[in-house]
Amino acid sequence: MQKQSKVSLLEFIQKHATIGTWEYDVELDSVHWSSETKKIHEVSVDFEPKVESGISFYRIGYSRTTITKLFTNCIEKHEDFDIELEIVTPLGINKWVRVIGMPIIENYKCCKVQGLFQDIDEKTKNSIALNFKEKQLRQTFESALIGMAIIDLEGNWINVNRSLCKTFGYSTEELMSLSFTDITHPEDLKKGYKSRFDMINGKLDDYETEKRFLDKKGDTIWTQLSTSIVRDDNGQPLHFVAQISDISQIKKSSNKVNQLLKTTENQNKRLLNFAHIVSHNLRSHYANLDMLLDIVKIDLPETTENEVFPLILEAVNNLGETVENLNEVASINIKTDNIIESLNLSDYLNKAKKSIAAIILDSKSIIEIDVNKDLQILGIPAYLDSIILNFLTNAIKYKKPNEPAKIDISTDITDKKIVLKIKDNGQGIDLEKYGEKLFGMYKTFHRHEDSRGLGLFITKNQVEAIGGKIEVKSKVNEGTTFYIHLNKYE
Amino acid sequence: MNKIDIACIIDDDPIFIFGAKRMMELSDFCNSFMIFKNGQEAINNLKSIMLAGEEIPEVILLDINMPIMDGWEFLDEFTQIESHKLITIYIVSSSIDPVDLQRAKRYENVSNFIIKPIAIQTLKNILQEVSQD
Repeated sequence: MQKQSKVSLLEFIQKHATIGTWEYDVELDSVHWSSETKKIHEVSVDFEPKVESGISFYRIGYSRTTITKLFTNCIEKHEDFDIELEIVTPLGINKWVRVIGMPIIENYKCCKVQGLFQDIDEKTKNSIALNFKEKQLRQTFESALIGMAIIDLEGNWINVNRSLCKTFGYSTEELMSLSFTDITHPEDLKKGYKSRFDMINGKLDDYETEKRFLDKKGDTIWTQLSTSIVRDDNGQPLHFVAQISDISQIKKSSNKVNQLLKTTENQNKRLLNFAHIVSHNLRSHYANLDMLLDIVKIDLPETTENEVFPLILEAVNNLGETVENLNEVASINIKTDNIIESLNLSDYLNKAKKSIAAIILDSKSIIEIDVNKDLQILGIPAYLDSIILNFLTNAIKYKKPNEPAKIDISTDITDKKIVLKIKDNGQGIDLEKYGEKLFGMYKTFHRHEDSRGLGLFITKNQVEAIGGKIEVKSKVNEGTTFYIHLNKYE
Repeated sequence: MNKIDIACIIDDDPIFIFGAKRMMELSDFCNSFMIFKNGQEAINNLKSIMLAGEEIPEVILLDINMPIMDGWEFLDEFTQIESHKLITIYIVSSSIDPVDLQRAKRYENVSNFIIKPIAIQTLKNILQEVSQD
């Protein structure tokens, strides 16, 4: 009865602890495995092991070499062993096992080896995975380019990483000897105080802020600080995890950009002011000259009858025109608050055509408008007037000398844009030579009597002011097509 | 067309004053002139003329940009003074800024905004407008 219960207890232990026994009889060269041992090897109960077949279960390499050596030593040198190795089951599955072997000595000779065999696969694999994860985390923490720290609830460091030390110029030991508040910029000490309190009290899980610290040299370091709180399973706060990234460089360059922006804005304002003043002052001088010439004509008619006086008149007139153009340029740039509204393109085209009817008739020009009457674009009325007029008068002005101008106006419609095409059969522009200067201020390409060159510059500015752009295709002696991209009203 | 009795020019530019005066003479615009070099001088003199009950100008040609007291400041002060006689004020400026034009429209006493240069025809038009009133 006693023996019976002893056996079953052993079996009970073997089964539940996944421990089997094994025995090797040296003289008989026979191996015995308990049923649990066989089960771990994943062989049937009637499997009869031999030394060679037993060893062949061990994974080739470290495991097989080790077991061979230990088993031999056990018999020859009477050394017992306890080792964790890997076997490969007949189904090809790798499995971690613990093998214990102990020699039985009789007459100074090993006659038997007895041992235990335990399945430790799950445990080993788990611990290997855990180790790996732990190592991975540790490495991530340590080698992260962002400064990281684990901080206790009182604000003392539990752990800091390399990056953080580098940011503040301290060695790990130096930094660990200081507290979080020690290196905080005095003006930012109160920053985030409430959030820290809320995190400890469970009202908040994390928070982000910009915070200044002082490095070892006492220089200010701007950082982006992200803190989250780690709690145990019961929700009790354990510690903080902080990520501290150095944004001093970004701060510096964004300050620079802001400064630059301010300077540019100021310069722009001054420039506009300057343009305004110049055009205004120039205008008053021009007005005086013009008035004086008028007086001379009436008062001293005898002084006008010479070659010079008409030239003075012309020069003064040109001055007046130049000043007016300058003023127009300045005012386009000043008036940025113009309201953009929906305008009927066809109406504006016809209106422009009507307003230059005399010139059209005089030059025998033909203007054909093929534009849908319902097309609405976004623009400023005065600008659209001026844009269309400028293109039409230009096309007539730069027609071929002995041929009337023929101008075709049509549109291409895309999703959000309307491209207004104004095609002429005129002199054309050598775009390779003048392309870059085409829309510049005071550039002219034709030796034409009243080329002023400001027209396209103003037109381009006006088109851009209503959110459009201009493209041009041209061939000398064949003609020019302007593509004016405008925003569609929907 | 009736000739204006007294015309007043308020402008800091001596060339303009010379020209405007000459043009007024040539177009037989008025019998006499009052000339002031800025708003302050004009206010001071016009005030004392009014107080003394002397003859005040019918038409004022007023510049905007002037030192000491500019055209706007002059208008603000001048409109406070009560007058029994109607005075027609023309702003005469070289400014073509629409902002100035809009501002001029806010003053009831301002009849028109004339952009320099002025010509004989400009003066003739003024004369016509004034004599119609």
